[in-house]
Amino acid sequence: MRPDLPWLTIVWNDPINLMSYVTYVFQAVFGFGKGKAEKLMMDVHEKGRAVVASGAREEMERHVEVLHSYGLWATVKRDD
Amino acid sequence: MSSGFKRTRRGVALRLEAVEAAVVENLVAQLKQMLGELPKGDPGLAELGISESTEAPRDAALARLFPDGYREDGEAAGEFRRYTEATLRDGKERDAAVVLASLGSADIVLDAEQAQSWLRSLNDLRLALGTRLEISDDGYERFEDLDWDDPEYAMFVTYDWLTQMQDSLVACLWPE
Repeated sequence: MRPDLPWLTIVWNDPINLMSYVTYVFQAVFGFGKGKAEKLMMDVHEKGRAVVASGAREEMERHVEVLHSYGLWATVKRDD
Repeated sequence: MSSGFKRTRRGVALRLEAVEAAVVENLVAQLKQMLGELPKGDPGLAELGISESTEAPRDAALARLFPDGYREDGEAAGEFRRYTEATLRDGKERDAAVVLASLGSADIVLDAEQAQSWLRSLNDLRLALGTRLEISDDGYERFEDLDWDDPEYAMFVTYDWLTQMQDSLVACLWPE
């Protein structure tokens, strides 16, 4: 593992969370504009997952914790 | 039947018929019972937000409400759970309490913070019901063929109603 590689916050597709809701949560949690939030939501929906943030591991874990509080299916992963 | 959430000058508003309020109250009570089934762990550690559980709950709906924070790394997932599960549960319990407290009135008006609690709690209810119903990307056709007196049909109607309610709340909260 290379120590310079960042960590990622990944959101996975699930059949229950509404597309409008997921877009809203991306805007509320990350402050994304509607266009970016919608694009990421569509990536999750169509490709099964999307990277929504990258950076330090602790920061990604905090993101995942917040996303879990909204019921999104999110995980932390080392970039590879 | 309730027409869902509306934006008003006083805040986000919802009018529920008594029977609808009773349905929400009953569902939230079930949710609270589910949350109570999570292992509590050591009380001293619990005060620090640390729980003893390092494994995902066995119950599918509970596992969906408390998902793993890591895939393909059981040890990291366990550590993450140990440090976040209790906080996550406390948050869900607080949200559920906000919903229950506001059900006392026929005309519900929420401030910004209460609206977030409703949003998260409605989603918790949808995740729990949707997991029990095994909702999939295949659509809802399976449920349309059910008899009206099938308990699963009633559960699906409730799920669908919560979906509309949540969608109307999202529309109210959408940033300008």
